[in-house]
Amino acid sequence: MFSAMVKKEFLLVLRDKQALLALFVMPAIFILIMSVAMRDIFSQESIHFDTVIVNADKSAISKTLEKDITANKSFSLVEQEDASFIIYIPKGYGDENSAKSPKIEIEVKGSAKSDVIELFKAKLLKEVVDLKLGIITERLSEFSDEAAAAVSSVKLSTDALFDLRYNEKEEVPNATQQSVPTWIVFGMFFIIIPMSTIYINERKQHTLVRLNSMNVSAFSMTLSKIIPYLFIAQIQVWVMVAVGMFIVPLFHTPALEINGSVAGLVFLSFALSVAAVGLSSLIAVIADSTEQATTIGGISNILLGSIGGVMVPKFFMPETMQTLANISPMSWGLDGFLDIFLKGGDFFTIVNESLMLLLFGAVLLTVSMLLLNRRLSRGF
Amino acid sequence: MVIKVSNVTKRYGDINALDGLSLEIKKGRIFGLLGVNGAGKSTLLSILNGLTNIDEGTIEIFGLDLKKEIAEIKNISSIVPQNLAFYEKLTVKENLEFFSNIQKASKENYIKAIEINNLSEFLNQEAFTLSGGQKRRLNMAIGLLNDPQIIYFDEPTVGIDPKSRNDILDSIKAYKDLGITVVYTSHYMNEIEKICDDVAVIAKGKLIEQGTLKEILQTKSETLEKHFLALTSEVQDV
Repeated sequence: MFSAMVKKEFLLVLRDKQALLALFVMPAIFILIMSVAMRDIFSQESIHFDTVIVNADKSAISKTLEKDITANKSFSLVEQEDASFIIYIPKGYGDENSAKSPKIEIEVKGSAKSDVIELFKAKLLKEVVDLKLGIITERLSEFSDEAAAAVSSVKLSTDALFDLRYNEKEEVPNATQQSVPTWIVFGMFFIIIPMSTIYINERKQHTLVRLNSMNVSAFSMTLSKIIPYLFIAQIQVWVMVAVGMFIVPLFHTPALEINGSVAGLVFLSFALSVAAVGLSSLIAVIADSTEQATTIGGISNILLGSIGGVMVPKFFMPETMQTLANISPMSWGLDGFLDIFLKGGDFFTIVNESLMLLLFGAVLLTVSMLLLNRRLSRGF
Repeated sequence: MVIKVSNVTKRYGDINALDGLSLEIKKGRIFGLLGVNGAGKSTLLSILNGLTNIDEGTIEIFGLDLKKEIAEIKNISSIVPQNLAFYEKLTVKENLEFFSNIQKASKENYIKAIEINNLSEFLNQEAFTLSGGQKRRLNMAIGLLNDPQIIYFDEPTVGIDPKSRNDILDSIKAYKDLGITVVYTSHYMNEIEKICDDVAVIAKGKLIEQGTLKEILQTKSETLEKHFLALTSEVQDV
């Protein structure tokens, strides 16, 4: 009996094209788009500026400056149409006899942010000051080797001037490490769409009542629905992981790496799917129509997602919001996935999050089963 | 008697859906249950199928006490709801196999349900592609899978064309020929006259009249529809 119910549920879900789109295609596309779009924001590599140098001055000084800028990895030399910054070295800039040399001109792309412009200016300033110090050192050496040595000892690199230490080591994910778990978690909760559609149609058409008249209990009905969705959710996780590992890198974006325990990933995925199925089941039982279920489901997903760090990563949030995020099961799932993908966590690292998700799911499934039983006892 | 309903009361809050109802249904007959909307027909069907509990009274079905032996009663009875209670996205065959499997029904019954309801040529069609009449027949066929001794039809001909309606009525007569006791509710008096052996009229949860169709039509010397309207309007006026 039970296997027939599970088989029926599988057939219904697999024939629901909209559901499959929501469960597989939507999160896969989100992963791809968000990983590529957020690549630079999450990048841990040094910032670089797409730059063109126009040197109208042919002096040795301006040539040295041009060479120094070119050698600095912060400046990527590109074609003019691709440039965010154009450095214009005017004629006469390197004239050592002139009392006042003309200023370097910088042409900035209109969309450039002010903090990026400031950073660009600071990087360029370093090159200019280094050049000027070199000239001063050379001049001083004609009079005093000691003074020249003192000036040449001045180093303007940040590594030489500052000793930077983090008081707490916190690893920040790259765009793929952030996107994959985010959209796995969010996508899994979209199980509400097929689950509520089938559940509510069964209820409205009195199919559940008919099943009840055939000695099928509310417990069996609920359990037979859980199993296919738990299975589908596991497929969903691995499809999304595969997108992160194999498709995303095709778009010059870092590939997803599973640095932690695969067993932990499987257990966490299972626990998360129990939570998603529990919430979906409860909404499906409470709602009176599929429209109502998809609206309630959609709103609750967005709320849980925005609180739980799906819309905005938790590490970008202020501390109070980070604390608030902990009430969302999506946050528990997300933390668990980041522990495995990013921090290389072992099985025990994700046990707490997984148990919380299992408890959340079990409570909601029990409540939905009781409510279904009450509805069935009303008969036709 | 296969069904004996004695002084049954069912309350929903302050409303008595059934109010001391008593009636008896004989074996192997088609029993027409008549009543206006809200008379208590659906409540009685829910109760007889073990879906809703009663507050007072007793019910025996094939000698089994409904309160104590509900699982056994469910095994020997079947309901065909007014709604199309099957899965539109499954084929006719998949639907029949599903309902057959969950009731552990025999292959013989599965074939019988298909033949009596003329579904052989639609087996591989998804249910949503069937016509209204074909859907009704599938709904009925599912009710036959567990080889029931009693089967309840809740207005099975609502919203379908006359040809399909006649086919369904013929199928119900075929169910009777298999020795199954049929309880049939409908708003169409001509259908009741056409297929029922016995008739009961209920209103406001109470039995107004019960007897064979023949007796009622002979003694009242009028059509069943006129008689039904007269009976129910008397009760409404009280």
